[in-house]
This record gives sequence, C-alpha cells and structure tokens, in this order.
Amino acid sequence: MLLSVKNLHTWFRHQGRTIKAVDDVSFEIDRGETFCLVGESGSGKSITALSIMRLLPGTNLDRHDGEIRFQAQGEASVGLTSLSEAEMRQVRGGQIAMIFQEPMSSLNPVFTIGEQILEAVQLHFPELSEEDAWARVMLALREVQLPDPETRVQSYPHQLSGGQRQRVMIAMAMACEPDLLIADEPTTALDVTVQREILRLMKALQQRTGMAILFITHDFGVVSEIADRVGVMQKGKLVEVGQTEQLIRRPQHSYSKALIAALPENLARHAPHTPVSDAEPLIRLRQFQIHFPVRKGLFRREVDRVRAVDGVDLEIPRGQILALVGESGSGKTTLGRGILRLTEPTGGQVDFDNTDITQLDRRQLRRFRRHMQIIFQDPISSLNPRLSIAGIITEPMKVHGIGENQEQRLEIARDLLAQVQMEEDALWRYPHEFSGGQRQRIGIARALSLNPSFIVCDEITSALDVSVQAEILRMLLDLRAERGLTLLFITHNIGVVEYVSDRTAVMYQGRIVEQGPTADIINRPQEQYTQQLIAAVPRVRF
Amino acid sequence: MTEPQTKRQSYWRRILGQTFVRWGARLGLFWVGVLAFLGVFAPFLASSFPLLLSQDGELSSPVLEYLQPVDVLFLVAFITLLLLIPLQLTLLRKLLALAGVLAISAILAYAWVSPPKLVIYEQYRVAEAQGSYDWVLYAPVPYSPKDYQRDRGESGLEAPLSNSERTHWFGTEQNGADVLSRMIHASRIALGIGFVATGIAMVLGVIIGGLMGYFSGVVDILGMRLVEIFEAVPTLFLLLTFVAFFGRSLYIMMVIIGITSWPGYARYVRAEFLRLRKQDFVQAAEAAGLPLSSILFRHMLPNGMGPVLVSASFGVAAAILAEATLSFLGLGLVDDPSWGEMLNQAVKSSSFNWWMAAFPGGAIFFTVFAYNLIGEALRDAIDPYLSKSG
Repeated sequence: MLLSVKNLHTWFRHQGRTIKAVDDVSFEIDRGETFCLVGESGSGKSITALSIMRLLPGTNLDRHDGEIRFQAQGEASVGLTSLSEAEMRQVRGGQIAMIFQEPMSSLNPVFTIGEQILEAVQLHFPELSEEDAWARVMLALREVQLPDPETRVQSYPHQLSGGQRQRVMIAMAMACEPDLLIADEPTTALDVTVQREILRLMKALQQRTGMAILFITHDFGVVSEIADRVGVMQKGKLVEVGQTEQLIRRPQHSYSKALIAALPENLARHAPHTPVSDAEPLIRLRQFQIHFPVRKGLFRREVDRVRAVDGVDLEIPRGQILALVGESGSGKTTLGRGILRLTEPTGGQVDFDNTDITQLDRRQLRRFRRHMQIIFQDPISSLNPRLSIAGIITEPMKVHGIGENQEQRLEIARDLLAQVQMEEDALWRYPHEFSGGQRQRIGIARALSLNPSFIVCDEITSALDVSVQAEILRMLLDLRAERGLTLLFITHNIGVVEYVSDRTAVMYQGRIVEQGPTADIINRPQEQYTQQLIAAVPRVRF
Repeated sequence: MTEPQTKRQSYWRRILGQTFVRWGARLGLFWVGVLAFLGVFAPFLASSFPLLLSQDGELSSPVLEYLQPVDVLFLVAFITLLLLIPLQLTLLRKLLALAGVLAISAILAYAWVSPPKLVIYEQYRVAEAQGSYDWVLYAPVPYSPKDYQRDRGESGLEAPLSNSERTHWFGTEQNGADVLSRMIHASRIALGIGFVATGIAMVLGVIIGGLMGYFSGVVDILGMRLVEIFEAVPTLFLLLTFVAFFGRSLYIMMVIIGITSWPGYARYVRAEFLRLRKQDFVQAAEAAGLPLSSILFRHMLPNGMGPVLVSASFGVAAAILAEATLSFLGLGLVDDPSWGEMLNQAVKSSSFNWWMAAFPGGAIFFTVFAYNLIGEALRDAIDPYLSKSG
C-alpha cells in the first residue's frame, strides 16, 4: 500500500463555529493506481489533499489528527503526521508532488520555467551537477511533450498558454520522480481539447513511471476517463468508495445516487422539441461582426484588430433554445453581449422581430431593452452588493413603467421569486447573504422582471455544482415552456447542451463553423473542428 | 440564516461596524468627536462673555448677544446632523439635506445675526468687580481667544497655573491671551479646513474620475493629462503665491488645497469605474435599460467609493497639516488663532515657552494621527482579503 489515510480529521474554527472540513476520512491508494476524490464545492476534497501534504494554514485549525502512512519505493513506511518539518519537506516534491488548478498563479512570474524546474530538481537531488540537473529539466519538459523545449525552457510563465503552463507544472512535479502525484482539479481551468491532452499525458506518464495519482475533481466525465477507483465526498465525509465503473453504474449511497442522477446526461429528457424548421426566427444575425481595435503609439493609431466575432449569420427561432458552444476565446460571450448591444457591434445587422436593433439610437435602444435580457456566469459579480433584492428586481420595472406603484412592483417581485423557487423574505436581504445557486435564481428573476421574450444565458451554470445546475436547468426549461421564451444558451458543457437545447451552433475563432439541430451536431458532426470538440468532451461512460 | 436581524444590514453599515471594532479607529473617532464638540460649542466653552447673568433681577445672556454668524452655522450643522443620523435615508440624501439646511441657514444667519460691532472683552469682568450683577455664570474657560486682558495689565507668557489669582490651564501667550481658549477656537479651523478642502477635492475627483472611467477613450486620455498637470503643481508653493496675491483668507486656502488635491481621488475613481464598468451587475443594469444617472450613481458610485473614502480620511489629515504649515510660516489667517500660528508664536518669542509649543503641537499631532488611524481601519475593513480576520 503506497498511501493509507485512517480517520483523518481536519476541523477549522471560524467565527466561533467549528467547520468539519474533513471528518473521519479513511482511504488507501495502491502503487500505480489513480484514485479520484469527487464531490461538490466545499465537500473537503482539497483540504484532504492539503492535509496529506501538511500544507494547511496554521491559523484557526481546530482539530487535526488521524493517521497518514506513506511507503515510498524501497523504503520503510512512515507516518507523515509525525515527521518533522524538515523531513516533511523531503517528502514533499520528492516523493509526493502536487499540481494545482490555476497554473498561472502556481508558477512564479519572475523566473523562467527552466529555473523553476531546476530549483525543484536541485532541492531534491543536491548531489547532481549543474549540467546533469539541466539535463533532467530538459528530459522532464520533453516528457510532458512541451513543443520546442529548448526555447521554451527560457520562457516566462506569461508567455505560455494555459495548457502549456499545466504541462510545465506536471514537468516540475515529475522531475523528481514522485511516487504519488496529487492533482487538485488540474484541468478545470482548461478547454476541453487541452483537458483531453493533459489527461492523456498524465495517464501515459503514470504507465511509464508507475506512480500513483490522487486526482481531485468535480467532473464525473473526467472521473470516468481517468480513475481506477473513486471516492465520493460530501460535507467532509467520504460517503462511498468503489471501482469507477461500479460506482457510476450502481451507486450505493443516497448522495452518490443523487449526484450521478443530477448529471446533465442523466436528467430526464423533456418532451420532444417543437419542429425546428417552420418557426419564424425571432433573432436573425446577418454578417454580424465585432472587431476590437488594437491601438498603439502616441496618437493611439489603430494598428490591428481583434476579430472577436467575424461575420456571423445565425437565426434563433421563436420559442426555441439555441446553444452556442466553443472554447474559451472563441467569441461566444462577445457574440451574446453584442446581440444585446452591451458591446457595440462594428458591422452587420441584428434583426429582433424584424427590427434592426443596430440602427436604434440610445433612447430607442433603452426602451427596447425590456424585450431582451441577459443572465451571467458569475453569481458573485452579477448582483449589485449595495442594493437589496427588492431594489435589484424592482428598479428595471420602475424605469420601464411596469406596475403602477412600488406596492404593485413588489407584488410582481414576490411572484417572480416564487417562480424561481425562492422565499419571499429574500426581498429584503442583500446579495451576500445568498449562496451561488440562490444568487443565480435572483439573476433569473431580475431578467424575467421585464417580461422579455429573449434571454441570453451566458454560461449560467458553469460556476455551480452539478446538483444545483440540474435544478436551475430544470427551472429554466419550465419557465421557457410557461412564458414561451427564446434563449441563447452559451456554454462549453456538451452535457448541458444536449439536455437543454433545440439547436446548436459551434463557434471557433469568431465564426460559426457548424449549426443545426442539437442531436445532429452531437451525434453526427460534419466539420472537422466540431468532431474534435465533441470527441474531446469527457463523457460519463459505462 | 441564524441571526437574520444582524445579517440584514446594508454594506456601509457592515463596513463601519468592521471599522470601528478596531480600537485604533475608536480612539481616532473619539478624538475627532472631542474636537467636533469643542469646535461647535467653542463660544460656550471659552468666552469672556458670561453665559448667563442677572442684573437688577433681569436675566440676560451676553454670549448669545455676541454670537457670530459662523457660530450659529456650526450649531445649526451640528443639530441637523444629530437629527439626520437616526433617519432612514441614503447617505447621499443625508448629505444633500445637510447642504440644503446649511445654505439656507447661512443666508439667514448673515442677514439676521448682527452681534455688536464694538467688542469690549473686559466690560463684564469690570462690571462684576464693581458689583453691579446679582450673579454671573461664566464659561468653563472664561477668556475669549482674542481677550488680551488689558484690564489686568498682564504681561503675558505665564506658564500654566502659575498665577494664583487666575487659572490659565495652558498658560498665556505673549499678548496675554489664554492659550487653552485659543486652542479650542482653533479646532474649528482645523476641522473646517480638513472637511471643506477634502470635500472640494472629493467632489471634483469623483466627477472627473467617474467621467474618465465610464466613458474612457478620448475623455480618459484628456482627463489623465489634466490629472498629471495638476499633480505636477506643488500645493505649498501655489498656496504661497495665492496668499501673496490675494491676502490671507481661510476660504482661499480651503479652495486651493481642494483643487490641488483632487487628482488622487480622480485616479482612484477612474480605476474603480474602469473595473466596475466590466462587472456583470453594471452590464445587467445597462441591459435592463436603466438611465445613465442610475447606472452611474446607484450602481457604480457606491461600489467605487471605498478607496476614495479611505484616501479622504488621509486627505483630511494632509489638509490640516498644510494649513498648519502655512500658519507656521506666518502666512495663515491674520487675526484668528490656529494651531500652526500658535506654534509660530512659540518659535518667534525670545525665550522658549514649552506650553506654547507643546499644546498646539500635540493637538496637530493627535488630530493627524486620529485621521490616519481611521483611514487605516477603513482600508482594512474594505479590503476583502483582510476582512476575515480580526
């Protein structure tokens, strides 16, 4: 047994309350296997990893005990909790290495990547000569398939892309040949195609070196791609451990069951969609483009343009949901905001119900805005922290003359909150008192307050846990049916696309590469890019 | 949701709560409160005119007769503040109400309040000595700041409590005026110049910075150049020049300190607005078709005021120091006492008289220190990374 954790407790004290971040967790990891810890945010998966590494913040730690035994290749088993800080430093990086979610902030911006890997190597192999150490650095970079390692070794972190940085992090971890690699959501910040490459790389490295991986994630797709065994965590407790296939197919614990049932792939399909072809389009984009000028020099001359959205033709039929998918930087968010003229389009035309809204002047546009609303990704920044919920929901109504007086508007606001399944006393609270999912509901209520016919949903569930995501998606579909809404649903999650949308458009480098009925796009993609994208999505199999 | 009552408070109430749990901020606030009290009630705390006297069975109050329009304004401002605080209004509305009341009462005060032109400080003391009053009630410090006590033939420069006949808690200066009385009256100038100069700077800075941040582009480029030009002007030398040209006036000083220190606020507000402009809730307000005034003043400004308020509390301290410096250089107000001018007196006199240096110097030190403490605590309270501890 490489690592065995027994009765691990990590409790924190915060404002007089005890938070049981890790509560009596026991598991074992064998040599060469991949063990996935999966759970929703706040379930204690990262704290478990940090407890093993003994990287916990020292302050307000309430209880920290349990047995963590680690047996490196050809050495006696040691209890990590009883090691001195100096001995522990030898273990960290040398025998247990760790990589994090955000590769930009885990690399030091003022050193080249070569220097950073070199430092790790020299720390753990002080007997190596400078040349041998450099050779090892190059070997590690080659191993993680960083393109052109001879030049890249001199690069600074900001000169690399997200995927390349994560490769560098892995190279740094691998350079010291650890027995155990702890990976804390290493692919969450990456695009799906890059994610697939990184996952493949980790698997290949594991097969070659025989190291074990403790992989922390919230994504069951990733789990089914990489894990041998899975542990499900809930509120600090490890509720179920099992072989990946078995656990995903036949979860035993009620929480695991709920979690797997909430995956968009497993949600009960709604009734067949209205026929796609004959509905009259509510939104029609013609040669729509948004270019951002790149200005330089004293007189800020325009030297180049970023073509965020570059000539898009798109139709959204009335009452339907169009999913817009694409990787980060493909221009999908800019397109969504451009339709609402939150970002000014630089060319083309947007017909909303046969009115070209790019031609409206400011006053007309302001009045027109009640027909089109937007819901945002980040539930934290989407609500004004200084206003009560009542203020947030009723102010737009007042401006557009909905409701005769404040009493009536509050009445409407209460109805809206009921529709998004919130208590009515939420009206008098402030945004910071709500959880992410609740805030997202308030955001939806705000968008609905003007009774719009078209809503842009910009990644509205990607900051949420799967169970909350399932509730929000279900609610949105109900509201769509009730009110006959037309939605532009921007997302990168193919599972959500399948569940929610009637039609799908795939965006790549500012252009729509393919569009059509969702089932066709996902099952029979025609364009090469779409095929790559769909293939890269980690799917829950078995 | 265990304690819904305490959780349901607005942002500013939370921030102020977090600010004033720190003992430094409490100390600072206490000191500023003491100064404000002294400033507002100065005529009743230190005055040669009796608060109340009875002559031949008739009551009269010389203090009220001699009340200046400025004194009345300070009192009105204080009472209005006391009345406004418990009201359920937004901060902006409260400020507007205060400004309105002050403007009206300023007009009324200067029109109607007319104290006697000829001021004879010693008349009541002399009359009392002659026994013409039944009884007299004096202020705690029975000397006006400009009462040089000619009737007593005092030479001045008495150390604190050295004279057995009269009590001068902080001694007297070379003209024979009471130092404590002068300091009490000078606290008005310190407070007034701090608040008014910072107020002017803040209003200018918020407007210009807000426009730069919201519209960006050309407005931003021009605004930043303006900011740089104003930042290049050294306040002190500008003040010296203006004093040379226009004579010594408290109001000119306030305005100059105000219009040379706005660039700092403009920079803060600009940066905040640039950041807020991209925030989802501002985009949502725009998508809802809210008018520009609401987006700017309801959604952006309250969220961007944090750093401005922090630097304002340091700005008040800086303005007080600037005034003290000018007065110390002998370029302050001609007649009215100010702490800096009192320090200047201490230096000028041929012998070193510690009480003339220590008390005003200490007052300047503590006031600047108090504002810095408040600013420091406010900054910590607003900083989201620090708010968890403490």
